[in-house]
Amino acid sequence: MNILQRIKNTVRSRSIHVAYVDVGSCNGCDIEVLACLAPRYDIEQYGIYVHNNPREADVLLVIGAYTPGWEEKLAMVWEKIPAPKAAITIGNCPISGCLFDRKGSFVDPPVKKHIPIAAEVPGCPPRPTEILQAIMSVRDSVFANWEEEHP
Amino acid sequence: MSSSLVWYIREFARAEWIKKFLFAKTAPLVTPTHFRGFPEPTGKTCTHALFCMMACPAPGAIEVVHAGDGWMPKIHKGHCIRCGLCVEVCPNGVLKSGRIRETMGREGTSLLFSFRIAIDKDLCTGCGNCCTACPVNKQADAQMGAGGHSSNDDVIMRVQEGDIVVIHEDKCTGCKTCEVSCPNGAIRIARILEGYQQPVQEGLQ
Ligand code: SF4
Ligand code: SF4
Ligand code: SF4
Ligand code: SF4
Repeated sequence: MNILQRIKNTVRSRSIHVAYVDVGSCNGCDIEVLACLAPRYDIEQYGIYVHNNPREADVLLVIGAYTPGWEEKLAMVWEKIPAPKAAITIGNCPISGCLFDRKGSFVDPPVKKHIPIAAEVPGCPPRPTEILQAIMSVRDSVFANWEEEHP
Repeated sequence: MSSSLVWYIREFARAEWIKKFLFAKTAPLVTPTHFRGFPEPTGKTCTHALFCMMACPAPGAIEVVHAGDGWMPKIHKGHCIRCGLCVEVCPNGVLKSGRIRETMGREGTSLLFSFRIAIDKDLCTGCGNCCTACPVNKQADAQMGAGGHSSNDDVIMRVQEGDIVVIHEDKCTGCKTCEVSCPNGAIRIARILEGYQQPVQEGLQ
């Protein structure tokens, strides 16, 4: 690995841009993501910025139980993100559908059958610390060694 | 001009300020100990009362499975909403989560299950399937055969003269085996969950 690659790795893992999509949630998890931005948890001190533009993003946070309106649209958002990229699901909804996955409902969880997911954060809703830990773990596993794995 | 530049650097480029600017982080990411997380085992023995599964509001969140010689509840993350009802309802204190058990002890609160058996006499044909299927009946009277007749007075219910009679409703464990074995949907079990609080002693309010 040459010096340029090393610099790229360092810069990528120190500046993570996050976009989030809500594919049908109760808004509980969205509030917890919002709490990450507040000074109490202060996501920016780790070099994580929320832009909400998939073209600029490295990490996609997916929240919600996948309603039919998101057929194809979620995959479209995912494809717009330039590599290296990772998707993280927040909350129970993208894993199991949580309280929305009942008889007669139209949601279609888990989200991981629609787009590839790097990490899942269970909880209804998860704590902001758990969300932050998930983003930091994909930072270390996806971005910090991207150059070695994709020469 | 140059002197003011030197002054600026001396005033603002202090070592500890630069260090703080580059390395200062707010409190590290720790979850406080009082946080009500996913229920964890306390090490006490599970007696397979299954109250945790009956009380759990999230489908598929908790399952009591074989663990070694006994039983142990297993939490499925991604389904569990961390409400803590399973912790409160367990009669043996098998699970813990945050401060739930401490608070219950301090305030003298408990959740108690009771079960009621309701049989629709118009639908019931007196076949006795429910009596033979019931595991508590099996314990009380191992001789009970098809038809649900029994001369034992310890059974929960039995067929007498072609009619089903409930004798010991209080022994029911709420398993609902009878419900699924009834061909007519005549028997229904109600699981009733009630919260209790011991009266606070005089002068301790
Ligand atoms: S996991 Fe719970 S809090 Fe989060 S969106 Fe789903 S229902 Fe709401
Ligand atoms: S904490 Fe609540 S949702 Fe989780 S297993 Fe226990 S009863 Fe079910
Ligand atoms: S619920 Fe279970 S214990 Fe109660 S009467 Fe039915 S089979 Fe027997
Ligand atoms: S199984 Fe149903 S029909 Fe048969 S005795 Fe029991 S309640 Fe009546």
